[in-house]
Formats: sequence, structure tokens, C-alpha cells
Amino acid sequence: MGNINSKGIKENTYDAIVIGSGISGGWAAKELCEHGVKTLVLERGRDVKHLIDYPTMAKDPWDFPHRNELTLKEKEDNPVVSKCYAFREDAMHFFVKDKEHPYIQEKPFDWIRGYQVGGKSLTWGRCTQRWSNFEFTGPQRFEFGWDWPIRYEDVAPWYSHVEKFIGICGSKDGLEAMPDGEFLPPFELNQVEQHLKDSLLKNYGDRYLVHARWAHLTQPNQIHLDQGRGKCNARNLCQRGCPFGGYFSSNSSTLPWAAKTGNLTIRPFSVVHSIIYDEQQQKATGVRVIDTNTKEATEFFARVIFVNGSTLNSNLILLNSISNRFPNGLGNDSGVLGKYICHHNYRGSLGGEIDGFDDTYYYGRNPTDAIIANYRNLHKKDADFIGGYTTYAGAHRDRDDGQTFPQQMGAEYKQSMTKPGPWKVYSYVQGETIPKEKNHVRLSKDKKDEWGIPQLITSVEYDSNDDKLLNDYFVQTEEMFSKAGVKNIHHSDSKQAPGLDIHEMGGCRMGTDPKTSMLDKMNALHHCKNVFVTDGACMASTGNQSPSILYMTLTARACNYVVEEMKKGNFK
Amino acid sequence: MKRRRFLSSVAIILPATMVSTEFFLSSCKAEVKEGYFSEENIKLLDEIGETIIPATSTSPGAKAAKIGGFMKVYVTDCYTPEEQNIFWQGVNKIKKISKDKYGNEFPKLALLQKQEILLSLNSENKINTDTPQFYPMMKNLVVFGFFTSKPGATKALRYIQTPGYYKGNVPYKKGDKAWAT
Repeated sequence: MGNINSKGIKENTYDAIVIGSGISGGWAAKELCEHGVKTLVLERGRDVKHLIDYPTMAKDPWDFPHRNELTLKEKEDNPVVSKCYAFREDAMHFFVKDKEHPYIQEKPFDWIRGYQVGGKSLTWGRCTQRWSNFEFTGPQRFEFGWDWPIRYEDVAPWYSHVEKFIGICGSKDGLEAMPDGEFLPPFELNQVEQHLKDSLLKNYGDRYLVHARWAHLTQPNQIHLDQGRGKCNARNLCQRGCPFGGYFSSNSSTLPWAAKTGNLTIRPFSVVHSIIYDEQQQKATGVRVIDTNTKEATEFFARVIFVNGSTLNSNLILLNSISNRFPNGLGNDSGVLGKYICHHNYRGSLGGEIDGFDDTYYYGRNPTDAIIANYRNLHKKDADFIGGYTTYAGAHRDRDDGQTFPQQMGAEYKQSMTKPGPWKVYSYVQGETIPKEKNHVRLSKDKKDEWGIPQLITSVEYDSNDDKLLNDYFVQTEEMFSKAGVKNIHHSDSKQAPGLDIHEMGGCRMGTDPKTSMLDKMNALHHCKNVFVTDGACMASTGNQSPSILYMTLTARACNYVVEEMKKGNFK
Repeated sequence: MKRRRFLSSVAIILPATMVSTEFFLSSCKAEVKEGYFSEENIKLLDEIGETIIPATSTSPGAKAAKIGGFMKVYVTDCYTPEEQNIFWQGVNKIKKISKDKYGNEFPKLALLQKQEILLSLNSENKINTDTPQFYPMMKNLVVFGFFTSKPGATKALRYIQTPGYYKGNVPYKKGDKAWAT
């Protein structure tokens, strides 16, 4: 560290510090500020103001010089992030370029990052199913990990709390594997999707294709209008930032809500070097921050600290928070910090064509996918692998490709391409992966980034369980689609590296036993009780549901716990 | 954007791996120089585009979509040097056949003659699929450029930036145009 340019401890002291302004950091800010807690949110990237900083939101396809494709140079300069489906001409300004923050891939890992106020909440996938007890009890029941210290009942009310505020569309389907929530009206299924749903029920009885559960305001309530947000206009251009605030992001929702209380300070360009631990008081007292532009170091102080820097960066900060008491990273008596990194298996996709339905089409662009709820390893182990998977599915009817037209030029060829082609059915998998000690991140001993912080080494890989799960998805989905009349079915294993799923989790997991876990049931470090980790780093297993809403839920729950404790005079 | 978009993205250019070494060694290598997209060449590309996607009674064609200007930006920035080579070799071949066989420059030929030239390049490519294919590359570029242009998206197809709502089931009448996005 260079000179500590503290402007006096008092001036740099808040009630709470939140590291990170993404999907969970935004929630920490909202909950704490609403309860009168003076909160400093530290963001390593630039500020992004809702609407003002969405430069591409009103652009048409022809407004992009390369029609939303990447240039050769952009691909060559960014071999990692250019693999991301949303890193395109219209939204690349919301992603970290490869050169901007290097890391070391001991094994291939595509680390996709969004360093700006709002983080990846600007560009996230927006899928928001609840976890069920099948997931919370999975590691214990099937002996593939340590038990979660919480159950569905602990988080259910907080799921509701979050869902009501951010707005989730969906339909109440009464599925044990995917509990219902507080839903706004769903996006309709189109005729082919409805046919798939009916076919699944008829042929299996216990496999359910249901409406998307997605963070979109299909019919805003007063609480959403109060946030300045409006109805989703079915543009499906979400990754650019929404002019209507139709999908949830920190920028459109939690951060401005927190700011309205007068209790919020956001400090962009502030990368956290480490958390300060006071050996005498036996608690964390603040954080060391480096200004990313001037490289100047500053310290900020608070009674509680929330770590929401995104899964791997939260691990990095804790690993880099060294003291005499914690020589291996803050709270890391167990030695598990940085280990058991896991992710979602996103390698598989499968699709085909279906005849008929020629007299039906759709209006608008559905920004969601239907969901086939997990049907594997629920009450008992019924597959040759551990864990479950979510299958996303849908049907669409694109412009005809004119391929059947013999002469690939001329008026008739053109005319054929102005009409819709056959219906196509698609699916992709979101599979659980199993936490393993050897899948880990650690700090480089010699390589540092431009702010003097050790670079992160990623060492994460798939195993045979992932291959078996993927194979089952292919076999089962092909069978389900075939029974529904889908033909010309093709499937693909992208073999993509871990990380490109952008669902990295773990490293600072929750657990009942401080010897095998980092966090207690309220997401506080077992050995440093005023530091809370409520982003993806806290995950003890991955489940098969999309994780972001669980991070938000755990964050809201932990913040309210902090507020209650503060009222009792704790966290002084 | 839905994650499924990556499944349906159109292959606009040939993957570089399809380019065989033999091809480069054996054929006259086109030099890709700055300014290669001269005004004259852009006019030629407009004409090639218009032959593939012509104006019809219902909608404008590739020329109205300024397809040559689009190619200048797209080919320069998005094609690999190898792909640019295939592109220019094909274009030069079109120029040569126009002069040698029809005695005039491509833009000045009759529609049928233009089509004959492009068809000959298309069928030529079908003989050996291992070698890079100029015509599919050119055709995909024209189709992509046209349907993402304003005239293509709004006149040949239907385009609404902000639909306002989604309806999963609306009747489709034969002849109705497809959505552009």
C-alpha cells in the first residue's frame, strides 16, 4: 500500500460499507439505507446512471456500423469476453475488456465481468426461479457436499420480499421442484410452446413446461411505478439498458431507491484492496480502497461490511485481507476460502423443427424463455449422475432462410425470405455442478494488477458427473421433443470453459460447521461476525435454478438481521 | 437478449478453418489495399447485391440499402485477411468474366447476363466443397446486410423497435411478412 490519504477517520466513517454495486450490492444498499443506516457503496468501475448512460438503447439494427457484430480486432483483443453471447456492438461497453483486468487461467476459465455501477445487473439473463428444498438438502441427501445451514422456509419470506419489489412475471404452477412466488402476469406461451407443454404432460405426467419466471414488469404495481419504472415493452433489447425500466437492474431500481433516503454514498472508481481487521476489537473496522484512476489509497470505516464484489472478486478481496490473526485471508481458519468454486453447466443446446402451426405467429419480442422444471434426483436418486438441471425451451418462427429455393438470387428468392419460415424449437441446459475442493481460486504470489492487488489464479474444471448430466439432458430432451413431433433434431456440446455460464459460485460458502465453511446461517463470517458475504461466493452448492435472485434474497435477509441487531445495540 | 440468441445467430462468413493452404498458393492472390473500396468498386458491389436481392414491386432492393457501402465497413473490419482475399478474388473474377465473355463492365450488363455470371460462380463452387466458396460468402453478406438495413427491415420485412407488448398467438395469413427482429 502507498500512503494512506485518510481525510480523517470521522469523515470517512459510515454505518455500513457495501463492496460492489451489482445485483446483490444494490440490494444491500436499498435495505440498509431504507432502515436509516448510513451506507457507502464502493464500485471499482465507472458510474452508470439509469437512462442517461444507456447510449445504445434507442438504436435500430442499421444504426450499428457492423449491424451488431464484432470486428476482427475486437475479437482478437478480447478472446475471453468476446465469447459471451451479449458482448456485441450494442452492449460491449458494459463488459470488462480482456486487457483491462488480467487474471491467470491455470485451467481455462472464461471470467466475464462488468465493472460499473450496477455491475452485471445491467446485462444479466433475468431468470428468477426460486430454489426448492430439493436443492437445499441435495448435498446432504446425496452426500456430495456439506449441508446448507438454511432451508427453503428460511428464505421463502425474503424471496417474496424481493420479488414484490423487483417484479417477477410467471404463473403459479404448484411445482414442488420450483416453488411459486409473487408473480406478475406471465409472458404468454406461443402455440408451439403450448403444444410442447401439453405433450410433456400427456407423455410423462410429471414433466412440466411452465411460463418463464423472469424479472420483467408485465404489469407494474404501485411499488414499481414509485421506482420510476414502467411496463416491459417486449423489445428484447435488455442488455442495452431499458428506457422503460422494464427489467430489474440495480441502476433502475435498488440504487436510486437507496439514494432517495439520503443515506447512500456511492463511490465509483474505488477498487477494494482489502478489509481491515482490528486484532484488539476482534472485528473488521473498514476497507482499504485504491482510486482506480489516481492509484491513491484511502481507508473507509464502518460498523458492518457487506462483501458483494461478485463471486470471484469477493474471494479475491477476502484472500487479500491478511492480518496476524488471519494470515490466510479474512475469516479463513478453516482453509476453505477460495475452494469449492462451482458453476452451472451451460454446455448443451438442442433444437429442431416442427411442422404445422402455419396459421399462427406472434406479436412483439418475448424477452423470456419457457422453463422445463428439473425432473432429476428429486425425491430419490434416479440418474447416473448427481444433481439436477433446468431446461429452458421455446419456439420461434424466423424469416425464412430461402435455402430450399433453387436459384439463390433474384426476385423470387428475395420474396421467399420476406415470409416466416417453419417453426423452430430450441432448448438449452442449466446443470448443477458439484463443489469440489480442487476447483479453486487463489492469489498469484508474484503477478499483480495495475492497482498493486495480486492477480487471481483460476483452477476450475468439469468432471465426469457433468458429462453424464449433459448426456442425460440430450437423451431426455430429444425424446421429449420427438414425442411432441419435433424433427431434424440436432444437439450441440459447446465444450465451453467454466465461467462462460456467468454463474460462478462458491469459495466462501455457508455452512453449519466453522471447520468446513466460511459463513454462518446469516451469511456472516464465522470468525469475523461483522463481515457479511451475500453474493455468489456464499453458495454451498449450485442447485439447478438461476442464482441471482437467491443472492438478492440472502442479502435482504442478512441486512434486516443487521438492522435488528443494531436496534439491540449490537454492531457498535 | 435471451441466451438462445447464440443458437440461431447466422453464419455470415465462412469459418477461417475452411480456407485451404493450397488455395492461396495456387491462385492469383488479391492484394487487399487501403482504398480498395473505391467508388467504382462500391458501385459494382451495389450491382452484385441488387442482382441477388433486387428491388421488387413490394420493396426496395440491396442497392437502395447501400449494400456496397455496408460491405466496405463490414468486410474491412470483420473479415480475416484470408476471407478478404476470397472476397476480392471473387469480385475480380466477376469483373473479368464480364469483360471477357460479355464485353462490358458488370454494372452495364443486362440482368440475365449478371445472373448468369453469379450463377456460374455459384455452381462452380458446388463442385468441390472443400475449397472456399465465394458465392455463398457474398450471398450471405448481401442477405445479412439487406435485412438489417432500414429499407430491408422496414419495407421487405416488418420492424417495430418498441412493440409495446407481447402476444404469443396472433393469426398468420399467407403472405404476411416476417418480423425483422
